[in-house]
Amino acid sequence: MTAFLAIAGNTVRELVRGKLLYNLLLFTALFVAGSLLVAQLTVGNWVRIILDMGLGAMEVAGALMAIVIGVGIVAGEIQRKTILPTLAKPLPRWTFCVGRYAGLVLLLAVNALAIVAVLRAVLWLAGYPLAITTAQAAALLCVEFALLAAVAVLFASFSTPILAGSYAFAVFFIGHLLPDLRAFADKAQSATARNLAKGFYLLLPDLELLNLKSHASNELAVAGSYVWSAAGYGIAYAAAVLALAVLVLSRRDLN
Amino acid sequence: MRSVRDAVRGTAAALSIAIAICTAAALRASAQRRAPRPVESELDIPPIPGDVARALTFGFRSLLADFTLLQAIQLLPVRHGDMAPEAAAPIDRRMFRLLDYSVEVDRKFGGAYRFAAAALPHETMDGKVFGVVNAMQILEKGVRERPDDWRMGFLLGFLQSYYLRDFPAAARNLALSAKQPGAPPFVGLLATRLAAQGGELQLATSLAEAMLAQANEESTRKEWQDRVDALHVERDLRAIEDAAQRYREVHGFPARSVQALVSAGFLPVFPREPHGGRYVLEGDGTARSTSTERLRAYGLTNQFEVH
Repeated sequence: MTAFLAIAGNTVRELVRGKLLYNLLLFTALFVAGSLLVAQLTVGNWVRIILDMGLGAMEVAGALMAIVIGVGIVAGEIQRKTILPTLAKPLPRWTFCVGRYAGLVLLLAVNALAIVAVLRAVLWLAGYPLAITTAQAAALLCVEFALLAAVAVLFASFSTPILAGSYAFAVFFIGHLLPDLRAFADKAQSATARNLAKGFYLLLPDLELLNLKSHASNELAVAGSYVWSAAGYGIAYAAAVLALAVLVLSRRDLN
Repeated sequence: MRSVRDAVRGTAAALSIAIAICTAAALRASAQRRAPRPVESELDIPPIPGDVARALTFGFRSLLADFTLLQAIQLLPVRHGDMAPEAAAPIDRRMFRLLDYSVEVDRKFGGAYRFAAAALPHETMDGKVFGVVNAMQILEKGVRERPDDWRMGFLLGFLQSYYLRDFPAAARNLALSAKQPGAPPFVGLLATRLAAQGGELQLATSLAEAMLAQANEESTRKEWQDRVDALHVERDLRAIEDAAQRYREVHGFPARSVQALVSAGFLPVFPREPHGGRYVLEGDGTARSTSTERLRAYGLTNQFEVH
Protein backbone atom coordinates (compact mmCIF):
# COMPACT_ATOMS: atom_id res chain seq x y z
CA MET A 1 0.00 0.00 0.00
CA THR A 2 2.87 2.36 0.86
CA ALA A 3 4.51 1.65 -2.50
CA PHE A 4 1.23 2.26 -4.29
CA LEU A 5 0.74 5.62 -2.55
CA ALA A 6 4.36 6.58 -3.20
CA ILE A 7 4.00 5.89 -6.93
CA ALA A 8 0.66 7.74 -7.13
CA GLY A 9 2.16 10.72 -5.25
CA ASN A 10 5.26 10.69 -7.45
CA THR A 11 3.07 10.67 -10.57
CA VAL A 12 1.14 13.70 -9.34
CA ARG A 13 4.39 15.56 -8.49
CA GLU A 14 5.91 14.67 -11.85
CA LEU A 15 2.83 15.79 -13.80
CA VAL A 16 2.41 19.00 -11.84
CA ARG A 17 5.94 19.96 -12.95
CA GLY A 18 5.04 19.41 -16.65
CA LYS A 19 4.06 22.27 -18.98
CA LEU A 20 1.32 20.40 -20.86
CA LEU A 21 -1.07 20.50 -17.92
CA TYR A 22 -0.83 24.25 -17.45
CA ASN A 23 -1.05 24.98 -21.18
CA LEU A 24 -4.22 22.91 -21.52
CA LEU A 25 -5.70 24.41 -18.37
CA LEU A 26 -4.97 27.94 -19.61
CA PHE A 27 -6.44 27.17 -23.05
CA THR A 28 -9.59 25.78 -21.44
CA ALA A 29 -9.97 28.68 -19.03
CA LEU A 30 -9.62 31.18 -21.90
CA PHE A 31 -12.12 29.23 -24.01
CA VAL A 32 -14.64 29.13 -21.17
CA ALA A 33 -14.17 32.84 -20.48
CA GLY A 34 -14.47 33.55 -24.22
CA SER A 35 -17.92 31.97 -24.20
CA LEU A 36 -19.15 35.20 -22.55
CA LEU A 37 -18.21 37.11 -25.72
CA VAL A 38 -19.68 34.53 -28.10
CA ALA A 39 -22.88 34.44 -26.04
CA GLN A 40 -23.45 38.10 -26.89
CA LEU A 41 -24.04 37.12 -30.52
CA THR A 42 -27.13 35.13 -29.61
CA VAL A 43 -30.60 36.35 -28.71
CA GLY A 44 -32.06 35.67 -25.28
CA ASN A 45 -30.55 32.72 -23.54
CA TRP A 46 -26.79 33.13 -22.99
CA VAL A 47 -26.53 30.21 -20.62
CA ARG A 48 -26.74 27.64 -23.38
CA ILE A 49 -23.72 29.03 -25.27
CA ILE A 50 -21.71 29.34 -22.05
CA LEU A 51 -22.52 25.78 -20.99
CA ASP A 52 -21.93 24.27 -24.42
CA MET A 53 -18.57 25.98 -24.83
CA GLY A 54 -17.58 25.43 -21.20
CA LEU A 55 -18.44 21.75 -21.01
CA GLY A 56 -17.12 21.19 -24.55
CA ALA A 57 -13.74 22.74 -23.66
CA MET A 58 -13.67 20.71 -20.46
CA GLU A 59 -14.20 17.49 -22.39
CA VAL A 60 -11.59 18.29 -25.05
CA ALA A 61 -8.95 19.30 -22.50
CA GLY A 62 -9.73 16.39 -20.17
CA ALA A 63 -9.69 13.80 -22.98
CA LEU A 64 -6.42 15.21 -24.34
CA MET A 65 -4.81 15.08 -20.89
CA ALA A 66 -6.13 11.60 -20.11
CA ILE A 67 -4.84 10.16 -23.38
CA VAL A 68 -1.56 12.06 -23.87
CA ILE A 69 -0.48 11.85 -20.24
CA GLY A 70 -1.92 8.35 -19.79
CA VAL A 71 0.18 7.09 -22.68
CA GLY A 72 3.25 9.01 -21.50
CA ILE A 73 3.28 7.73 -17.93
CA VAL A 74 3.52 4.10 -19.06
CA ALA A 75 4.70 3.81 -22.70
CA GLY A 76 7.04 6.81 -22.33
CA GLU A 77 8.66 5.22 -19.28
CA ILE A 78 9.05 1.91 -21.10
CA GLN A 79 10.51 3.58 -24.20
CA ARG A 80 12.98 5.65 -22.17
CA LYS A 81 13.74 2.60 -20.00
CA THR A 82 13.13 4.76 -16.90
CA ILE A 83 10.67 2.10 -15.73
CA LEU A 84 13.52 -0.36 -15.07
CA PRO A 85 15.02 1.28 -11.93
CA THR A 86 11.53 1.45 -10.42
CA LEU A 87 10.76 -2.19 -11.17
CA ALA A 88 14.21 -3.25 -9.93
CA LYS A 89 12.88 -2.59 -6.43
CA PRO A 90 10.70 -5.26 -4.77
CA LEU A 91 7.58 -3.89 -6.34
CA PRO A 92 4.89 -5.83 -8.21
CA ARG A 93 4.13 -4.48 -11.68
CA TRP A 94 0.46 -4.01 -10.87
CA THR A 95 1.45 -1.54 -8.16
CA PHE A 96 3.37 0.49 -10.70
CA CYS A 97 0.53 0.40 -13.24
CA VAL A 98 -2.33 1.13 -10.84
CA GLY A 99 -0.29 3.71 -8.89
CA ARG A 100 0.54 5.66 -12.05
CA TYR A 101 -3.12 5.46 -13.11
CA ALA A 102 -4.38 6.63 -9.69
CA GLY A 103 -2.03 9.63 -9.75
CA LEU A 104 -3.26 10.59 -13.23
CA VAL A 105 -6.94 10.24 -12.29
CA LEU A 106 -6.41 12.41 -9.20
CA LEU A 107 -4.83 15.08 -11.35
CA LEU A 108 -7.61 14.87 -13.93
CA ALA A 109 -10.21 15.28 -11.18
CA VAL A 110 -8.46 18.37 -9.77
CA ASN A 111 -8.17 19.77 -13.27
CA ALA A 112 -11.89 19.18 -13.91
CA LEU A 113 -12.74 20.91 -10.63
CA ALA A 114 -10.65 23.93 -11.66
CA ILE A 115 -12.50 24.17 -15.00
CA VAL A 116 -15.88 23.85 -13.27
CA ALA A 117 -14.82 26.69 -10.95
CA VAL A 118 -14.02 28.90 -13.98
CA LEU A 119 -17.34 27.90 -15.59
CA ARG A 120 -19.16 28.73 -12.35
CA ALA A 121 -17.49 32.17 -12.29
CA VAL A 122 -18.46 32.87 -15.92
CA LEU A 123 -22.06 31.79 -15.24
CA TRP A 124 -22.12 34.03 -12.17
CA LEU A 125 -20.86 36.99 -14.22
CA ALA A 126 -23.64 36.37 -16.75
CA GLY A 127 -26.20 36.09 -13.93
CA TYR A 128 -26.96 32.37 -14.11
CA PRO A 129 -26.71 29.71 -11.39
CA LEU A 130 -24.89 26.40 -11.81
CA ALA A 131 -27.76 23.96 -12.42
CA ILE A 132 -27.79 20.44 -11.01
CA THR A 133 -27.72 18.94 -14.54
CA THR A 134 -24.51 20.85 -15.25
CA ALA A 135 -22.92 19.40 -12.12
CA GLN A 136 -24.12 15.92 -13.17
CA ALA A 137 -22.66 16.45 -16.68
CA ALA A 138 -19.31 17.54 -15.19
CA ALA A 139 -19.27 14.51 -12.86
CA LEU A 140 -19.87 12.11 -15.75
CA LEU A 141 -17.14 13.86 -17.77
CA CYS A 142 -14.74 13.02 -14.92
CA VAL A 143 -15.78 9.36 -15.23
CA GLU A 144 -15.15 9.58 -18.98
CA PHE A 145 -11.64 10.94 -18.33
CA ALA A 146 -10.94 8.08 -15.92
CA LEU A 147 -12.13 5.58 -18.52
CA LEU A 148 -10.03 7.15 -21.29
CA ALA A 149 -6.98 7.20 -19.00
CA ALA A 150 -7.45 3.45 -18.38
CA VAL A 151 -7.76 2.85 -22.14
CA ALA A 152 -4.58 4.90 -22.74
CA VAL A 153 -2.70 2.91 -20.06
CA LEU A 154 -3.89 -0.36 -21.64
CA PHE A 155 -2.63 0.57 -25.11
CA ALA A 156 0.57 2.00 -23.62
CA SER A 157 1.25 -1.30 -21.89
CA PHE A 158 1.93 -3.11 -25.19
CA SER A 159 2.55 -0.43 -27.82
CA THR A 160 4.66 2.61 -28.68
CA PRO A 161 3.51 6.04 -27.43
CA ILE A 162 2.36 7.28 -30.88
CA LEU A 163 0.39 4.12 -31.67
CA ALA A 164 -1.07 3.91 -28.17
CA GLY A 165 -2.21 7.55 -28.41
CA SER A 166 -3.77 6.93 -31.83
CA TYR A 167 -5.63 3.84 -30.57
CA ALA A 168 -6.90 5.70 -27.51
CA PHE A 169 -8.16 8.64 -29.62
CA ALA A 170 -9.88 6.14 -31.92
CA VAL A 171 -11.65 4.67 -28.88
CA PHE A 172 -12.71 8.20 -27.86
CA PHE A 173 -14.25 8.91 -31.28
CA ILE A 174 -15.80 5.47 -31.71
CA GLY A 175 -17.13 5.58 -28.15
CA HIS A 176 -19.19 8.63 -29.08
CA LEU A 177 -20.49 6.92 -32.23
CA LEU A 178 -21.71 3.78 -30.45
CA PRO A 179 -25.41 4.76 -30.21
CA ASP A 180 -25.40 4.91 -34.02
CA LEU A 181 -23.74 1.50 -34.13
CA ARG A 182 -26.51 0.17 -31.88
CA ALA A 183 -29.13 1.76 -34.16
CA PHE A 184 -27.40 0.11 -37.12
CA ALA A 185 -27.47 -3.24 -35.30
CA ASP A 186 -31.21 -2.85 -34.72
CA LYS A 187 -31.89 -2.04 -38.37
CA ALA A 188 -29.38 -4.32 -40.17
CA GLN A 189 -30.98 -6.91 -42.46
CA SER A 190 -28.09 -9.36 -42.37
CA ALA A 191 -27.80 -11.47 -39.20
CA THR A 192 -23.97 -11.44 -39.44
CA ALA A 193 -23.84 -7.64 -39.65
CA ARG A 194 -26.33 -7.40 -36.79
CA ASN A 195 -24.36 -9.75 -34.52
CA LEU A 196 -21.05 -8.12 -35.44
CA ALA A 197 -22.39 -4.65 -34.69
CA LYS A 198 -23.89 -5.85 -31.39
CA GLY A 199 -20.59 -7.50 -30.47
CA PHE A 200 -18.62 -4.31 -31.11
CA TYR A 201 -21.24 -2.33 -29.21
CA LEU A 202 -20.86 -4.51 -26.13
CA LEU A 203 -17.05 -4.59 -26.37
CA LEU A 204 -16.39 -0.87 -26.80
CA PRO A 205 -17.12 1.81 -24.17
CA ASP A 206 -20.36 3.70 -24.85
CA LEU A 207 -19.14 7.21 -24.06
CA GLU A 208 -22.50 8.72 -25.01
CA LEU A 209 -23.88 7.22 -21.80
CA LEU A 210 -21.52 9.59 -20.00
CA ASN A 211 -22.47 12.59 -22.14
CA LEU A 212 -25.01 14.89 -20.48
CA LYS A 213 -23.73 18.10 -22.09
CA SER A 214 -26.83 18.54 -24.27
CA HIS A 215 -29.12 17.88 -21.32
CA ALA A 216 -27.30 20.53 -19.31
CA SER A 217 -27.47 23.15 -22.05
CA ASN A 218 -31.13 22.36 -22.83
CA GLU A 219 -31.93 22.60 -19.10
CA LEU A 220 -33.44 19.10 -19.10
CA ALA A 221 -33.59 17.31 -15.78
CA VAL A 222 -31.81 13.94 -15.49
CA ALA A 223 -32.73 11.32 -12.88
CA GLY A 224 -30.08 10.82 -10.19
CA SER A 225 -30.43 7.06 -10.63
CA TYR A 226 -29.30 7.40 -14.25
CA VAL A 227 -26.20 9.36 -13.24
CA TRP A 228 -25.28 6.73 -10.64
CA SER A 229 -25.77 3.81 -13.02
CA ALA A 230 -23.88 5.54 -15.87
CA ALA A 231 -21.03 6.46 -13.50
CA GLY A 232 -21.00 2.88 -12.20
CA TYR A 233 -20.81 1.56 -15.76
CA GLY A 234 -17.89 3.89 -16.58
CA ILE A 235 -15.96 3.04 -13.43
CA ALA A 236 -16.51 -0.71 -13.86
CA TYR A 237 -15.40 -0.52 -17.50
CA ALA A 238 -12.29 1.48 -16.51
CA ALA A 239 -11.50 -1.11 -13.79
CA ALA A 240 -11.78 -3.96 -16.31
CA VAL A 241 -9.53 -2.16 -18.81
CA LEU A 242 -7.01 -1.35 -16.09
CA ALA A 243 -6.97 -4.98 -14.95
CA LEU A 244 -6.27 -6.00 -18.55
CA ALA A 245 -3.45 -3.41 -18.72
CA VAL A 246 -1.93 -4.87 -15.52
CA LEU A 247 -2.13 -8.38 -17.00
CA VAL A 248 -0.45 -7.31 -20.24
CA LEU A 249 2.26 -5.31 -18.48
CA SER A 250 3.05 -8.07 -15.99
CA ARG A 251 3.68 -10.53 -18.88
CA ARG A 252 5.64 -8.12 -21.04
CA ASP A 253 9.40 -8.46 -21.43
CA LEU A 254 10.67 -4.93 -20.80
CA ASN A 255 14.31 -5.50 -21.70
CA MET B 1 32.10 50.77 -52.69
CA ARG B 2 30.57 48.16 -50.39
CA SER B 3 28.26 50.75 -48.82
CA VAL B 4 26.95 51.76 -52.27
CA ARG B 5 26.33 48.09 -53.10
CA ASP B 6 24.50 47.59 -49.80
CA ALA B 7 22.38 50.67 -50.43
CA VAL B 8 21.45 49.40 -53.92
CA ARG B 9 20.59 45.98 -52.48
CA GLY B 10 18.46 47.55 -49.74
CA THR B 11 16.63 49.79 -52.21
CA ALA B 12 16.04 46.83 -54.56
CA ALA B 13 14.67 44.75 -51.69
CA ALA B 14 12.36 47.55 -50.51
CA LEU B 15 11.23 48.16 -54.10
CA SER B 16 10.53 44.44 -54.60
CA ILE B 17 8.47 44.31 -51.41
CA ALA B 18 6.51 47.43 -52.43
CA ILE B 19 5.86 46.01 -55.93
CA ALA B 20 4.76 42.66 -54.44
CA ILE B 21 2.38 44.40 -52.01
CA CYS B 22 0.89 46.59 -54.76
CA THR B 23 0.51 43.60 -57.10
CA ALA B 24 -1.15 41.55 -54.34
CA ALA B 25 -3.56 44.41 -53.56
CA ALA B 26 -4.44 44.88 -57.23
CA LEU B 27 -4.91 41.16 -57.81
CA ARG B 28 -6.98 40.84 -54.67
CA ALA B 29 -9.36 43.57 -55.88
CA SER B 30 -9.49 41.92 -59.30
CA ALA B 31 -10.19 38.49 -57.77
CA GLN B 32 -12.93 39.97 -55.59
CA ARG B 33 -14.60 41.47 -58.68
CA ARG B 34 -14.43 38.16 -60.54
CA ALA B 35 -15.41 35.99 -57.54
CA PRO B 36 -18.16 33.44 -58.21
CA ARG B 37 -21.47 33.68 -56.34
CA PRO B 38 -21.19 32.61 -52.68
CA VAL B 39 -21.59 28.88 -52.23
CA GLU B 40 -24.45 29.38 -49.79
CA SER B 41 -26.54 31.03 -52.53
CA GLU B 42 -26.08 27.97 -54.76
CA LEU B 43 -26.09 25.01 -52.37
CA ASP B 44 -27.73 23.92 -49.17
CA ILE B 45 -25.59 25.10 -46.27
CA PRO B 46 -24.42 23.21 -44.28
CA PRO B 47 -24.03 20.52 -46.95
CA ILE B 48 -23.88 17.49 -44.62
CA PRO B 49 -27.36 16.24 -43.64
CA GLY B 50 -28.21 16.95 -40.02
CA ASP B 51 -28.65 13.32 -38.98
CA VAL B 52 -25.18 12.48 -40.36
CA ALA B 53 -23.63 15.57 -38.80
CA ARG B 54 -25.16 14.66 -35.44
CA ALA B 55 -23.17 11.43 -35.40
CA LEU B 56 -20.00 13.12 -36.60
CA THR B 57 -20.01 15.69 -33.80
CA PHE B 58 -18.69 12.98 -31.42
CA GLY B 59 -20.83 14.17 -28.54
CA PHE B 60 -20.57 17.91 -29.32
CA ARG B 61 -23.91 18.16 -31.14
CA SER B 62 -25.31 20.96 -28.99
CA LEU B 63 -22.21 23.07 -29.71
CA LEU B 64 -22.71 22.58 -33.48
CA ALA B 65 -26.40 23.46 -33.05
CA ASP B 66 -25.39 26.66 -31.20
CA PHE B 67 -23.10 27.82 -33.97
CA THR B 68 -25.69 27.05 -36.64
CA LEU B 69 -28.25 29.10 -34.70
CA LEU B 70 -25.73 31.95 -34.35
CA GLN B 71 -25.31 31.95 -38.15
CA ALA B 72 -29.08 32.16 -38.55
CA ILE B 73 -29.23 35.05 -36.05
CA GLN B 74 -26.61 36.96 -38.05
CA LEU B 75 -28.91 36.77 -41.10
CA LEU B 76 -31.76 38.60 -39.39
CA PRO B 77 -30.34 42.15 -39.74
CA VAL B 78 -29.49 41.42 -43.40
CA ARG B 79 -33.21 41.07 -44.19
CA HIS B 80 -34.66 44.61 -44.19
CA GLY B 81 -38.33 45.36 -43.70
CA ASP B 82 -38.56 47.19 -47.06
CA MET B 83 -36.80 44.43 -49.01
CA ALA B 84 -38.59 43.03 -52.08
CA PRO B 85 -39.81 39.44 -51.55
CA GLU B 86 -37.56 38.22 -54.39
CA ALA B 87 -34.52 39.73 -52.67
CA ALA B 88 -35.51 38.37 -49.25
CA ALA B 89 -36.23 34.85 -50.54
CA PRO B 90 -32.60 33.59 -50.56
CA ILE B 91 -32.09 34.95 -47.02
CA ASP B 92 -35.33 33.33 -45.86
CA ARG B 93 -34.31 30.04 -47.46
CA ARG B 94 -30.87 30.08 -45.84
CA MET B 95 -32.28 31.04 -42.45
CA PHE B 96 -34.83 28.23 -42.61
CA ARG B 97 -32.14 25.77 -43.68
CA LEU B 98 -29.85 26.79 -40.81
CA LEU B 99 -32.61 26.67 -38.20
CA ASP B 100 -33.92 23.36 -39.46
CA TYR B 101 -30.36 22.04 -39.36
CA SER B 102 -29.88 23.35 -35.85
CA VAL B 103 -32.93 21.52 -34.50
CA GLU B 104 -32.06 18.43 -36.52
CA VAL B 105 -28.61 18.27 -34.91
CA ASP B 106 -29.96 18.99 -31.42
CA ARG B 107 -33.63 18.04 -31.36
CA LYS B 108 -34.16 19.40 -27.85
CA PHE B 109 -32.91 22.92 -28.71
CA GLY B 110 -35.79 25.03 -27.38
CA GLY B 111 -34.08 28.35 -28.24
CA ALA B 112 -33.80 27.46 -31.94
CA TYR B 113 -37.49 26.51 -32.14
CA ARG B 114 -38.51 29.78 -30.48
CA PHE B 115 -36.19 31.84 -32.69
CA ALA B 116 -37.67 30.16 -35.80
CA ALA B 117 -41.19 31.14 -34.67
CA ALA B 118 -40.13 34.76 -34.23
CA ALA B 119 -37.72 35.24 -37.15
CA LEU B 120 -39.03 33.22 -40.07
CA PRO B 121 -42.51 34.76 -40.55
CA HIS B 122 -42.40 38.30 -41.96
CA GLU B 123 -45.15 40.43 -43.45
CA THR B 124 -45.15 42.91 -46.32
CA MET B 125 -47.13 46.13 -46.55
CA ASP B 126 -49.51 44.64 -49.14
CA GLY B 127 -50.83 41.95 -46.77
CA LYS B 128 -48.54 39.08 -47.76
CA VAL B 129 -46.72 36.92 -45.24
CA PHE B 130 -43.66 34.77 -45.90
CA GLY B 131 -42.02 32.01 -43.90
CA VAL B 132 -45.07 30.95 -41.87
CA VAL B 133 -45.20 27.46 -43.32
CA ASN B 134 -41.46 26.96 -42.69
CA ALA B 135 -41.78 28.24 -39.12
CA MET B 136 -44.72 25.88 -38.51
CA GLN B 137 -42.76 22.96 -39.95
CA ILE B 138 -39.97 23.61 -37.41
CA LEU B 139 -42.41 24.21 -34.55
CA GLU B 140 -44.24 20.96 -35.26
CA LYS B 141 -40.93 19.21 -34.59
CA GLY B 142 -40.61 21.32 -31.44
CA VAL B 143 -44.01 20.18 -30.18
CA ARG B 144 -42.96 16.55 -30.79
CA GLU B 145 -39.46 16.84 -29.32
CA ARG B 146 -40.10 19.23 -26.42
CA PRO B 147 -43.56 18.30 -25.15
CA ASP B 148 -42.43 19.59 -21.73
CA ASP B 149 -42.06 23.17 -23.04
CA TRP B 150 -45.44 24.94 -23.16
CA ARG B 151 -44.06 27.64 -25.47
CA MET B 152 -43.82 25.23 -28.44
CA GLY B 153 -47.57 24.56 -28.66
CA PHE B 154 -48.34 28.17 -27.82
CA LEU B 155 -46.16 29.57 -30.63
CA LEU B 156 -47.49 27.05 -33.14
CA GLY B 157 -51.07 27.86 -32.10
CA PHE B 158 -50.35 31.57 -32.44
CA LEU B 159 -49.06 31.16 -36.03
CA GLN B 160 -52.03 28.96 -36.94
CA SER B 161 -54.59 31.41 -35.56
CA TYR B 162 -52.97 34.74 -36.49
CA TYR B 163 -51.74 34.00 -40.01
CA LEU B 164 -53.74 30.98 -41.17
CA ARG B 165 -56.97 31.56 -39.18
CA ASP B 166 -57.03 27.82 -38.54
CA PHE B 167 -58.74 28.17 -35.18
CA PRO B 168 -59.51 24.49 -34.48
CA ALA B 169 -55.84 23.48 -35.01
CA ALA B 170 -54.64 26.50 -33.02
CA ALA B 171 -57.01 25.64 -30.20
CA ARG B 172 -55.76 22.05 -30.09
CA ASN B 173 -52.12 23.17 -29.84
CA LEU B 174 -52.89 25.81 -27.22
CA ALA B 175 -54.88 23.23 -25.26
CA LEU B 176 -51.85 20.91 -25.28
CA SER B 177 -49.63 23.82 -24.27
CA ALA B 178 -51.96 24.84 -21.42
CA LYS B 179 -51.54 21.41 -19.79
CA GLN B 180 -47.74 21.72 -19.57
CA PRO B 181 -46.08 22.75 -16.32
CA GLY B 182 -45.35 26.46 -16.16
CA ALA B 183 -47.94 27.45 -18.77
CA PRO B 184 -49.56 30.78 -17.80
CA PRO B 185 -53.33 30.64 -17.17
CA PHE B 186 -54.12 32.82 -20.21
CA VAL B 187 -53.01 30.01 -22.58
CA GLY B 188 -55.87 27.73 -21.53
CA LEU B 189 -58.36 30.60 -21.62
CA LEU B 190 -57.16 31.58 -25.09
CA ALA B 191 -57.43 27.95 -26.22
CA THR B 192 -61.09 27.78 -25.17
CA ARG B 193 -61.82 31.12 -26.86
CA LEU B 194 -60.23 29.97 -30.14
CA ALA B 195 -61.94 26.59 -29.92
CA ALA B 196 -65.30 28.31 -29.46
CA GLN B 197 -64.60 30.55 -32.45
CA GLY B 198 -63.45 27.58 -34.54
CA GLY B 199 -66.56 25.55 -33.71
CA GLU B 200 -64.71 23.05 -31.47
CA LEU B 201 -67.04 23.51 -28.50
CA GLN B 202 -66.54 20.00 -27.18
CA LEU B 203 -62.75 20.49 -27.09
CA ALA B 204 -63.13 23.87 -25.40
CA THR B 205 -65.55 22.53 -22.78
CA SER B 206 -63.40 19.48 -22.02
CA LEU B 207 -60.32 21.68 -21.55
CA ALA B 208 -62.15 24.20 -19.37
CA GLU B 209 -63.65 21.44 -17.18
CA ALA B 210 -60.24 19.76 -16.84
CA MET B 211 -58.62 23.06 -15.84
CA LEU B 212 -61.44 23.73 -13.39
CA ALA B 213 -60.90 20.33 -11.78
CA GLN B 214 -57.13 21.05 -11.42
CA ALA B 215 -57.49 24.62 -10.12
CA ASN B 216 -56.51 25.01 -6.47
CA GLU B 217 -56.89 28.71 -5.82
CA GLU B 218 -60.31 30.29 -5.38
CA SER B 219 -59.66 33.03 -7.96
CA THR B 220 -58.48 30.49 -10.56
CA ARG B 221 -61.48 28.27 -9.90
CA LYS B 222 -63.80 31.24 -10.40
CA GLU B 223 -62.04 32.17 -13.65
CA TRP B 224 -62.47 28.65 -15.04
CA GLN B 225 -66.05 28.33 -13.76
CA ASP B 226 -66.85 31.57 -15.66
CA ARG B 227 -65.27 30.08 -18.78
CA VAL B 228 -67.28 26.83 -18.44
CA ASP B 229 -70.46 28.94 -18.08
CA ALA B 230 -69.49 31.06 -21.11
CA LEU B 231 -69.04 27.88 -23.14
CA HIS B 232 -72.46 26.64 -22.03
CA VAL B 233 -73.92 29.97 -23.17
CA GLU B 234 -72.19 29.52 -26.55
CA ARG B 235 -73.58 25.98 -26.82
CA ASP B 236 -77.11 27.21 -26.04
CA LEU B 237 -76.84 30.13 -28.48
CA ARG B 238 -75.75 27.79 -31.26
CA ALA B 239 -78.63 25.43 -30.49
CA ILE B 240 -81.09 28.36 -30.63
CA GLU B 241 -79.63 29.64 -33.92
CA ASP B 242 -79.78 26.13 -35.35
CA ALA B 243 -83.43 25.78 -34.33
CA ALA B 244 -84.23 29.25 -35.74
CA GLN B 245 -82.71 28.25 -39.08
CA ARG B 246 -84.78 25.07 -39.24
CA TYR B 247 -87.91 27.02 -38.18
CA ARG B 248 -87.39 29.47 -41.04
CA GLU B 249 -86.85 26.64 -43.53
CA VAL B 250 -90.07 24.90 -42.44
CA HIS B 251 -92.34 27.92 -42.04
CA GLY B 252 -90.80 30.33 -44.54
CA PHE B 253 -90.55 33.17 -41.99
CA PRO B 254 -88.34 33.72 -38.94
CA ALA B 255 -89.37 32.76 -35.40
CA ARG B 256 -90.23 35.71 -33.15
CA SER B 257 -88.69 34.42 -29.94
CA VAL B 258 -86.96 31.53 -28.26
CA GLN B 259 -90.26 30.58 -26.68
CA ALA B 260 -91.75 30.24 -30.19
CA LEU B 261 -89.00 27.74 -31.05
CA VAL B 262 -89.81 25.71 -27.92
CA SER B 263 -93.55 25.80 -28.58
CA ALA B 264 -93.02 24.64 -32.18
CA GLY B 265 -90.86 21.73 -30.98
CA PHE B 266 -87.63 22.95 -32.51
CA LEU B 267 -86.05 23.24 -29.03
CA PRO B 268 -86.82 20.56 -26.36
CA VAL B 269 -86.81 23.03 -23.41
CA PHE B 270 -86.22 26.72 -22.84
CA PRO B 271 -82.47 26.81 -22.07
CA ARG B 272 -81.42 28.31 -18.72
CA GLU B 273 -78.84 31.11 -18.95
CA PRO B 274 -76.14 30.21 -16.36
CA HIS B 275 -75.33 33.84 -15.45
CA GLY B 276 -78.93 34.59 -14.50
CA GLY B 277 -79.87 36.45 -17.69
CA ARG B 278 -82.01 35.17 -20.57
CA TYR B 279 -81.62 34.31 -24.25
CA VAL B 280 -83.00 36.61 -26.93
CA LEU B 281 -83.55 35.75 -30.59
CA GLU B 282 -82.84 38.68 -32.93
CA GLY B 283 -84.70 39.37 -36.16
CA ASP B 284 -81.76 38.26 -38.33
CA GLY B 285 -81.77 34.79 -36.73
CA THR B 286 -78.83 35.34 -34.39
CA ALA B 287 -79.18 34.71 -30.66
CA ARG B 288 -77.64 36.56 -27.73
CA SER B 289 -77.57 36.51 -23.96
CA THR B 290 -78.75 39.51 -21.96
CA SER B 291 -75.99 39.10 -19.37
CA THR B 292 -72.79 38.29 -21.27
CA GLU B 293 -71.06 38.66 -24.64
CA ARG B 294 -70.38 35.73 -26.91
CA LEU B 295 -67.00 33.99 -26.61
CA ARG B 296 -64.81 35.24 -29.45
CA ALA B 297 -61.10 35.84 -30.03
CA TYR B 298 -60.50 39.51 -30.82
CA GLY B 299 -57.77 41.08 -32.93
CA LEU B 300 -57.77 38.23 -35.46
CA THR B 301 -59.38 40.16 -38.29
CA ASN B 302 -56.25 40.35 -40.48
CA GLN B 303 -56.36 38.38 -43.71
CA PHE B 304 -52.92 37.44 -44.96
CA GLU B 305 -51.88 36.00 -48.28
CA VAL B 306 -49.60 33.20 -47.10
CA HIS B 307 -46.54 32.41 -49.24
